[in-house]
Amino acid sequence: MPPNSRPHRILVVDDDPDILVYLSMLLEDNGYVVESAGDTASAFAAVDRFRPDLVLVDVLMPGRSGLDLVVTLRRDSRWKDIPVIVITGNDQVLHDDCKTYLGAHDGIRAPEGVLGKPMDPHTLLDAVRNLSSSFRLSDTFS
Amino acid sequence: MDARYQQYFEDMPCYLSVHDRDFRIIDGNRRFRADFGERVGEPCYRVYKGFDEVCEDCPVAKTFDDGASHGSEQRLITRDGQTVEVMVYTTPIRAADGTVTAVMEMHTDISEVKRLQGALQRSQERLAQLFEEVPCYISVQGRDLVIQHANRKFRETFGPAVGDHCFRVYKHRDEPCLVCPSRQTFVDGQSREHEEVVVSASGERINVICTTAPIRDVDGKVAAVLEMSTDITQIRQLQTQLASIGLLVGSISHGIKGLLTGLDGGMYLVNSGFEKDQPQRVKQGWSMVERNVERIRSMVLDILYYAKDRELEVTAIDAAALVAELREIIYKKASDLDIDLTVDVAPDAGTFDGDPKAIRATVLNLLENSLEACRSDRKKSSHHLKFVVRRSEPWMIFDVEDNGIGMDRETREKIFSLFFSSKGVKGTGLGLFIANKIVDKHGGTIKVESEPGRGARFLVRLPVVACPSTHNIPAT
Repeated sequence: MPPNSRPHRILVVDDDPDILVYLSMLLEDNGYVVESAGDTASAFAAVDRFRPDLVLVDVLMPGRSGLDLVVTLRRDSRWKDIPVIVITGNDQVLHDDCKTYLGAHDGIRAPEGVLGKPMDPHTLLDAVRNLSSSFRLSDTFS
Repeated sequence: MDARYQQYFEDMPCYLSVHDRDFRIIDGNRRFRADFGERVGEPCYRVYKGFDEVCEDCPVAKTFDDGASHGSEQRLITRDGQTVEVMVYTTPIRAADGTVTAVMEMHTDISEVKRLQGALQRSQERLAQLFEEVPCYISVQGRDLVIQHANRKFRETFGPAVGDHCFRVYKHRDEPCLVCPSRQTFVDGQSREHEEVVVSASGERINVICTTAPIRDVDGKVAAVLEMSTDITQIRQLQTQLASIGLLVGSISHGIKGLLTGLDGGMYLVNSGFEKDQPQRVKQGWSMVERNVERIRSMVLDILYYAKDRELEVTAIDAAALVAELREIIYKKASDLDIDLTVDVAPDAGTFDGDPKAIRATVLNLLENSLEACRSDRKKSSHHLKFVVRRSEPWMIFDVEDNGIGMDRETREKIFSLFFSSKGVKGTGLGLFIANKIVDKHGGTIKVESEPGRGARFLVRLPVVACPSTHNIPAT
């Protein structure tokens, strides 16, 4: 695959500081440049500043949900093509909400990947690595 | 002609006798003679009843009096001593000038009828007894929804009832219910089953399953509706408990997955820290592990507590000692998190009644929630937690205030219930549900004030003197 489609910069969004530390270190150890944000608002600001190649976002957070962030990004002509992987501990979100919520907003592309917590680090790394084309990682549903 | 009539007289399958004004029998037919003997010339009261004088209400006397026919039920005794129940009809026999010279009595054996009547009455009594004694609420309503009959259990629970509208008696409404299964049964004559919540005379809510059945008149029209209701309150409570356990499992699920991810993270840091020979990373990872193990511990203990609903063991608790104990538990965590901790107990606080374990767990839960709320709040540079206990008769007041992340209205309204949207909330949220239950069991109250971004304040009031609450908290 062409080297310039390989994600280098990853933005991680989760309200749990432990998970932010974990994912940041895991990804940095594997050669990525990582920024983290604790909620949707600061995430959006970080996108503007950091220009990530990929966004990893937790769905259930206080305030605006991670899916809100996806919609906001997709609606912005600057960020609409950034691939997004959604992570969540909630089965319903995993299976339904992504489709229904995003389906409700016309023309919004579903996330490129949906991962369930707790995620296997290899699965995560594979998903991130393979995101050169936007295919749905449906076989990673737990 | 005479001979033919004489034959009819003779052969009629009932007792026929003719009486004169002195009540003497001057003629009788075959049946009469068979059962009462050759008694012509004797007074009827002696022949039929063995009496020495005229019966009260004698129909023969009435007929002599007014020349009209009369009927009545009588009990006769045959010559064998058998009792025969009869229906008596009298007919005046007139002379050519119209005066009544004799009266003919016709007695028809109604023993069978009487027997059936008796059987019917016993059967009705049995039915009435059943109706009365069945341990369900039974009532019968007319088309106007006025209660015509109500059995004992119904009356005991809802009051006298008969003559009053059903919707008033057990729904405490001024007009018929929107969905009225009885009304529907009046319309289509079909039996129905419907779940309802009714209210007893004492104001207690009862879950029931109500079955209606049409009561038809002789024309087949539905004249009244029978309502039979079974108390299912206990079943519903069990169901709610089961449902909430189901919800609990669902709501834990998200929290646990977060904690497990935290554990994964800690372990990753520790392992990679060793691999890369980075002791700082190992330290950071280990503290992550410890933190998440602690959270899992709380969660498991909460679940276990929730699963085993215990009775309170009430004793006198010294407020100052309790506060000192709690401060001991949380001050290190507070200082690690750089949270300014203020703990104060009024000098006159004294003692109060309560279950020490339960109270300690409850207040600790509030304190730890506040610490977490401060920890989660990035917007402010400094955080504080104020814990004050004071006495304000008849209450003991526990005031826990923080300037952490705060809660929005939706969260505030849901935190004490079992089901809440686990938006970013760690753990099960069981802690507050249990805390609320404990406070309620003690007869106290718990209130929360909070603004998102500003912080939260929990105010717990416990009665100084034990007065456990008598009502149940619904499980959700």
